[in-house]
Formats: sequence, structure tokens, C-alpha cells
Amino acid sequence: MASRLDTLDQSFNWRSKKVEWPVTTITSQGLSGVIACETKVAWVNPNTGDFSYRGIPIQELAGKATFEEVAYLLVEGKPWKEHPEKYKSFCQKLHSVRQMPVEVLQILASQPVTTHPTRLLRALISALGCYEMQNKDTRDGHHIWGDVWIISQVVALVGHIARFRKGLKPMITDYRQSLARDMLYMILNKKPSLEQEKLLNLLWVLYADHGLDAPTFTGLVVGCTKADPYYNIVAGLSALRGPLVGGAVEGVIQMLVGLRDANVARAWTEGMITKGFRIPGFGRRIHSQPDPRVDILRGILPEYAKTTEQQLLLEVSTTIEDTASAYLNPKGVYVNLNYYSALLFHYLSVEPEMVTCFYAIGRMAGLVARVREYLTTNRLFRPRERYIGKRDQSYTIIGKR
Amino acid sequence: MKPIKYLIEQTYSRGLENLVAGQTSIAMLDGERGNLLYRGYDIEELADLSTFDEVSYLLIHGELPTTSQFQGWVNELDTWNEPPVDAINVLDSLPTDTPPLMLYRTMASIAACNIPEGENVRMDAQWRRPARILGWSSTLAAAAICHVLGRRPNPFNPEQSFAVNFLTRSLGRKPTQFEAEAFDVSLIVQAEHGFNVAALAALTVISTGADLGSAVLAGLSALAGKLHGGTNQLAFQNIMQHESAKDARAWVKRKLKDGYRFPGFGHRIYQTHDPRARILEPLARKLVEDRGDGHIWEIYETIRDEVESNLGDKGIFINVGGVSGLIYHALGFPMSSYPIPMALAIQTGLMAHCLEYLSEGNMIEPGAIYTG
Repeated sequence: MASRLDTLDQSFNWRSKKVEWPVTTITSQGLSGVIACETKVAWVNPNTGDFSYRGIPIQELAGKATFEEVAYLLVEGKPWKEHPEKYKSFCQKLHSVRQMPVEVLQILASQPVTTHPTRLLRALISALGCYEMQNKDTRDGHHIWGDVWIISQVVALVGHIARFRKGLKPMITDYRQSLARDMLYMILNKKPSLEQEKLLNLLWVLYADHGLDAPTFTGLVVGCTKADPYYNIVAGLSALRGPLVGGAVEGVIQMLVGLRDANVARAWTEGMITKGFRIPGFGRRIHSQPDPRVDILRGILPEYAKTTEQQLLLEVSTTIEDTASAYLNPKGVYVNLNYYSALLFHYLSVEPEMVTCFYAIGRMAGLVARVREYLTTNRLFRPRERYIGKRDQSYTIIGKR
Repeated sequence: MKPIKYLIEQTYSRGLENLVAGQTSIAMLDGERGNLLYRGYDIEELADLSTFDEVSYLLIHGELPTTSQFQGWVNELDTWNEPPVDAINVLDSLPTDTPPLMLYRTMASIAACNIPEGENVRMDAQWRRPARILGWSSTLAAAAICHVLGRRPNPFNPEQSFAVNFLTRSLGRKPTQFEAEAFDVSLIVQAEHGFNVAALAALTVISTGADLGSAVLAGLSALAGKLHGGTNQLAFQNIMQHESAKDARAWVKRKLKDGYRFPGFGHRIYQTHDPRARILEPLARKLVEDRGDGHIWEIYETIRDEVESNLGDKGIFINVGGVSGLIYHALGFPMSSYPIPMALAIQTGLMAHCLEYLSEGNMIEPGAIYTG
């Protein structure tokens, strides 16, 4: 007898002691309502907005923990404070592998600078994978999921891409620095402030996991075949770049920069809503409740808006949010994480086109954690299809059709 | 047919087993009788009478082409035989002891940095992509295999079929007529297979509004794993490790006791003989026997019969990956490149699924139950 779960009901909290397979659920298009697996990595309750990593509410981590600490928490499943020695060696592992093969940097240098950075990142991580997996028994490539350094390899490559786009020379990364600090060095080309470091850590922490959204689910699907992590990241980046996922972050900042004051912003927003257009940064299928991560960002925005330009952008963005929310909140559509993170990435001098790559860095922690977890009880994802096409066709040769 | 908006109750197991994830008009898999239809045509008939060049059109466009449609399709494939030069040159920066599919992945990712209208994801732009992806892929894949073999690919010949061009260019010799036909059939039968793991990855990516090339790349990434596209290599290694049929039989008996999962056997959907394996077997046999490798066929047969007679009541039979390695071996492909021909074939099915999905398109996002 299959256990029955009301996954599309408002009262369902996506949490249970155990799942008795097979399960019976309501299912809808896009695998909505479908339970793909169990997880202990993170809890996302779309109906209440509850959101926690390994049982720790996001509010207790945001702004208080570094990206490395949260990566440890997600991947190893234990609080870093309770395992100082293990955490230290985890960081050493992360920090020691940021040197890229010179050939990979040469590949970057030969690409058109106009190429979208996520495409560059995908090509470079693929090339790096050729070096990392050479001579290895790659058909069993999943074993290197044990090595978390792919997280910092993505960090290093994103840093190189950001410098390449600005026409800056490749920089040797500093192993003694945190990932956030090192990245800021690379993009700012000068010593970052502690405040900037704290902000980048916060953003990466918020992006570290968000349930089985399309990029993470792609990662699980590729992972279940036991393909190595480089295949996985290539596939995940392909999904992350999609206009409906990472592409949406870029849209936000382009929108904000285009609207120079609050009055214009209000009129524009009303116009968009009356015409029934989507506003970048609003709505997310998984959340029909306010996203707690947005509240965190909204709270810290004023302290980062320092220059007149930054303050103006903040005013424009809060005006759009207020105007749009009045219409959209009653329909269960709320502003999402990408909306304010786009603004904060902009404050950190991250170009709009680069934002998806930064989003990818954060997500690497959750991806590694979830694929490793799924592989412990691996089962190939192979659903069925309902065939609605023609039958009984018989072949006629080409001249007679 | 207009897609039905559905909200239905379903019962399924881990790995989404028995979940109906959506509807399709591309392939019908009859797991009970062991039949596979593409757009309503039995693959046995297509393998007998059609060509991969024609089947790729059928899968993507939904109908067999008329003479002028076919000419147009072939011309389109020919015009796209030259990928961006950067995508080929990147090989000079990559190690030679890397599996060709990884090289191919990198070349395709570099090609994707240099594509026309890369960020245009309107429907008309998506429909301009299949011929380019297919045309480029044959050149890139041949170059990847040549890189491992330490030679340069032969030039493209517009007079020849997809199969002959790929074989000539990657192996550095013109195939015999039988070799070309057998390889073409292997492409036909592996061109599409419903919502397999690669298709699920590709569909999830296309559902984010991404471009068709990105979705195909994700599909091929799923194919790389040993539980999916890597099977043919593992199954073939299992054949080659034995000196004789007698050794092989003893080995199977031992492995059966250990509860070993034999690569190249069993399938989630087929509880009976895999029609693709059935079609490829006589071709594989003739190819290996013509090469004087008759003992390889004997070992293959012994392993197959021994496994099937023990596990057949559980619905475990040889699958396409169990036999295709024999064909690739006989043609002279290095073992590390076996996933490549499968990738070339199945990308047509992946593209067909993605283009079909785009017209109904919800983003694919299942859930996970938190048990922590």
C-alpha cells in the first residue's frame, strides 16, 4: 500500500520522519507536486516560507557565517563549530586548489570577450575537467564527489573570467584568504573592505541551496548516472543560465538602472502590470509565501547604499517593489531573492552579466551536498512517458511520399 | 494534439519509477512486448529500409521527409559541417589521455561561445538549431576521437551520408558497405528512447528557457555516467576479459552468486527482449566474425545466455548497451570512445523532446521531502 501525501495542499510542509516508497501524490506539469527524493540537506517549505540548512534556520546563518562554514555545514551535515579540526582541513582542501592549469587560462584568453560569462565558465570547467580526470577511471567518476574542491575551482574560474572581461591580467590567487576575500581582490583589483567581504559571504550563503529547482535537479539527474562532477557542473550551468532562472537576475539590474527615479519607476511598474507583463525579480513557483531570504536582504540594503547613485537605485527598487506588491501579493506573487541580490551584487561592482556566475558559486555548496547525499542511496531517475502520437505507420520509400 | 493540463494522482517509487512525467508524440516504448516505434514507425522497419539521415528528420519534424524536404535537410546538415575553428583548436590545449566524450563536451562548450544568435531563445531561433548541432557534432566528435588516436580527421565529403562521413573521418579509412550499413543501423536504433535519463536532463534545462544546444549538452552529460551511456564500454570490457566461452560461463556463475548487476543487461522499461539489441545482434556478429574475432561473439553469446537463463524470469535480458560495443570494436573505435556514437545518435531524440516540450513548457521543479 503506497503512502499518500498531499504535496500540492497548502498545509503540506514537505517534512516527514521517513518516506515510505512507493508514494501517491497529486502531480502536475513540470513535475510539480512530485517527490523526487528524501533529503537532510535543507528544508524549504513553500507554504510557510520556512527555510533552513541542516536544521539551522537561514536567519541564524545569514550575515553570521562565512560561505566556507555554510559549505561545510551543507556538505558534511555538521555544524563547523563542533568540529574545528575537520573544518580546518575542509578549508585547507578548498583553499589549496585554486591554481588553474595554464592551458585553461589560455583557452579563456582566446575567447571573444563578448561571450556570455556563463558560457565561458561552462567551457572552462569542462576543459579543467579534462585535466582533472585524465588518466582516471572516469566511468566511475562519482568517487571524486568526495573532493569538495570543485567548489573553489568554480570560484577561481569565475574570478579569472571577471578579470578577463575587464581586460585585467590573470592574478595568482592567495591561498591564505577566504574565498570571498580572494574573489573580491580579483574583481576589484584592490584590497576589499571587511564590509564587502561580509556581504559577498552573505549572498553566497543565501544562494547555497534552494531545494530541487531546475539547476539542482539537473545536477541530481546527471549525478545519478555516476558521471563525474565536471559533467554535472556543465549541465547545471546550462540550466542556471536559462532566462527563467539565472537569466532573471540580469534582467533585474538592467531594469533598475534603466529607471532613474522613483516617480518614473512607479509609473513604469503600473504600466507593466496593467499590460499583464512579468516584472523581473517577482514570483517563484515554489514560494507562494514571502521568501525569508528577501527579508534578510531588505534589512541590510540601507547600510550598503552609500553613494548617491546607490541610494537612488535603492529608492527605485523599493518603489517598484511597493508598487508591484500591492497588485501581486494578493495573488501569492512576491518579490524573490534575485531582486535585491541583483542590487547588492551591483554594489559590489559585479557586472550584471557576471551575476549568474556568482549565483552558481553559492549553489555549488548545495549541489555537492545533494548529489553526494543522493549517491548514497542512488537510483536512476527514469520516469515514464504517456504516448499520444501516431501508431501503425508503415514505411514508404522516399519518391512515393 | 493540444497538451492536456493535468493534475492527476500518481503512485511511483524512488528514481521516479512508474511516474508518468509527461506526454509525447515521439517514441512509443512497449516494455511488455519489446517494441519501439518512432513517430509510429517500428524501428525494425526503419532499420531495414531507412537511413539515419532520414530518421533524424523524422524524429525532429514528425514526418518522413519528401524528396525535396530531404534534400533541404541534407543540404542544411552539409552547410553546418564546419564548427567554429576555436572549437577544434581547443584540442591543442587538452591532454590526449582524456576520454573523447570529455573532449567533445569541451569542444561543444567552446563552440557554444561562438554561435550565431546564441542568446535568442524564440521558437524560430530554436528551430534553426537542430541541423547546426547535428552537423557540427559529427565533425567535433571525429576530431575528439582522432585527438586520442594521435591523428588528424579526414576531410568532410558532402556526397556521403552522416554515418560514412563520421566513420571515415574518425577512423581514417573508408568503411566497407556492410560496415557503413551496420553503423547506420546502430545510429537509427539509438536515436531516441523516451524519457531516459539524458532526455530528463535535457528537458529540465530546456524548461528554464535555455537554448537547445545547452539542453543537448546537459543530456550528453547525463549520458557520460557508467549507469547510462558508459554501459557499452563496461559490458564490452566484461566480454574482453575472458579467454574463452568456458571462462566466461564460470565467471557469470560466480558473479550471479554475488548478486552482481551485469552492465548491458536489464532495463527499467523493457521486461522482455530489448528490440534494439535484437536488431543489432546479427550485424555485430557478422562484423566481429568477418574480422576473425569469432571467439568474441562466442563469449558474448555465452554471457548473454547464462545471464538470461538465470535472470530472464526477473525480466533481465541483454540491452542495447550490451551489444553495441561489439560493433564499435569491430569497426576499430578505441574503447574510451564508445559513448560517442551513442551520443551522436541520441542527441536527435533529445532535440525532438526539447522542441516538443517548448510548446507546453512549465519549468521542471520536483520537490524533496526533508527527513532531517
